[in-house]
Amino acid sequence: MRKEVKAEVVTCWGAFLQNATTATMPLLTHSQSDNEQYVLVASLDNARNLSNILKAITFKDHAIFTATRNGLKVTVEDSKCLQANAFIQAEIFQEFTIKEDLVGFQINLTVLLDCLSIFGGSTVPGGVSTALRMCYRGYGYPLTLFLEEGGVVTVCKINTQEPEEPIDFEFCSSNVTNKVILLSESLKEAFSELDMTSEVLQITMSPSQPYFRLSTFGNSGNAHYDYPKDSDMMELFHCTQTQTNRYKMALLKPSTKALALSCKVSVRTDSRGFLSLQYLVRNDDGQICFVEYYCCPDQEVEEE
Amino acid sequence: MQTVHEGVANTVHSLLPLFRCLTSIERNVERCQISVNIPNDRVMIQFSCKHGITKTHNLRYQESEALQALFASHLCLNVLRAPARLLANMVMHFPASQEEVTLSIAPFRVSLMNYHEEANDHVKMIHTEMSLHPDEFDYFQSAGDSAITFCLKELRGLLSFAELHCLPVSIHCGAAGKPVCFSVEDLVLEATVVLATLIESDSRGLSQPTNTPDPISPRCADAAVVSCEAARDQPLIHHAGMEAVASSQGSPADPSATQHHSLLRLHAPDETWATTSPASSTICSLLFRALSAEQGESPAATLSVLAHHSDMEENEDSARGPSV
Repeated sequence: MRKEVKAEVVTCWGAFLQNATTATMPLLTHSQSDNEQYVLVASLDNARNLSNILKAITFKDHAIFTATRNGLKVTVEDSKCLQANAFIQAEIFQEFTIKEDLVGFQINLTVLLDCLSIFGGSTVPGGVSTALRMCYRGYGYPLTLFLEEGGVVTVCKINTQEPEEPIDFEFCSSNVTNKVILLSESLKEAFSELDMTSEVLQITMSPSQPYFRLSTFGNSGNAHYDYPKDSDMMELFHCTQTQTNRYKMALLKPSTKALALSCKVSVRTDSRGFLSLQYLVRNDDGQICFVEYYCCPDQEVEEE
Repeated sequence: MQTVHEGVANTVHSLLPLFRCLTSIERNVERCQISVNIPNDRVMIQFSCKHGITKTHNLRYQESEALQALFASHLCLNVLRAPARLLANMVMHFPASQEEVTLSIAPFRVSLMNYHEEANDHVKMIHTEMSLHPDEFDYFQSAGDSAITFCLKELRGLLSFAELHCLPVSIHCGAAGKPVCFSVEDLVLEATVVLATLIESDSRGLSQPTNTPDPISPRCADAAVVSCEAARDQPLIHHAGMEAVASSQGSPADPSATQHHSLLRLHAPDETWATTSPASSTICSLLFRALSAEQGESPAATLSVLAHHSDMEENEDSARGPSV
């Protein structure tokens, strides 16, 4: 793993600016001519607004970055069965400039996160934050990160690769059979204590009892977590038919990180039994971002 | 006395995770229902939580015979009772790695000291002894001097539980080799921990509490008490760096002790004594004294004395007893 890191980062150096105040970032405010070389420039006063949400999808080393005028989408996939996406809208950034309709590249997510937290930094919001300016010149160029904290600037250049096409799970709202929205705090505990000896996580959604049920089948027995439709943790309950689907535990367990960050989660299944989990995440500044997980069913249980 | 019930065995590993996060249980769980579903071989543990959420765990179980220690606590010669806090304060002086401790009960002193098997290490190890006056205990009954060695780690669990619930702990014990019973009780529960104690003999194994108790007949008990009174006058002996309180109910390892046991069996065929019962060795010594008076010097010559007294007793016969 470590060798890979060295290969990915082309250069990384820091400089201490004299007479620099924390409020201004001299190195990070480039002139207009500098900007012309970049197809993508995105700036954040607080790098945590990006790094925190990326941590929710870091279960694989590599991620596909897709930038459009709407903002940034970061995609991580596993075994062609699971896909996680993090969306950071353009409005979240202090500066977001894109010269093409779509800019895409693949990058080592672990290295990127290491760079974003290169100053160590406190996790307490409101403390000293790292400012970020992310610049990309285009195909074949590394992603350049300018990071500043307390007058110290670090520049990181991370190699990029040809982006793979993200899987299209063909999950569309018109095909959704069951949907619930739960407050995350009610699920957090359940997910953290899921029996990991169970190979699958079974999700049952039904207009009748048990309404919404998470089940595991482990070495010592089975467990069921039931959420009734009239629970005050259930913000929305819309189930049209009884469906029971199983998903590989190993694929879904990483979603616990996204759940931990979120305040609400929507759980949807379509007629094929494909699962969509959408997490509403508030960042340090209270702005809303989204993380979503798509997962294929492990084996189809007879739908009633 | 306990009656033996049909047992339900679960591995602790499957149960512990359900109750691991106490703070979250306190915060969320309103009710817990535990039931046994015999046709399906499942134990169901259901938590009814806030916001209408229900968590149901169905755990597989196996039927098993429950292991029960049949322990006659009313026949125990030594009984102590103290708040859990007092006992916790006694054991806190021993490191967490300390496996076994010796509880020594005498009419005017209760001591707890650490126990090590290899006497060779006595130069390197730290000896800790904690003594209390019987007045510190809520209830104190001692038939005489005795010392039992048991596993401290097993006791710590019960003590922390008892301390949490502010319950007094009762200790029932007898001679070394006999089980010791620690119990707590309140309105809703009764917990008993029966631990084996070390037999003070060559074989260093712990005696297992068996389903049939070693009979402690009143006759034996009387004899033990009697000899105890005599033994109290005897001076303390120093044995391999350890300080030992004169004990009538247990003797340090001595191969010749087994000789005395077999002597006893020959002369008292009606009694059934476990060969390793130290109480019987007390009886042995009494009878032996009687025998040696009859038979003259020859049996006494084969006797090996464990340790020489620093001052000689008035009665040479009692000084030669193995239960010095």
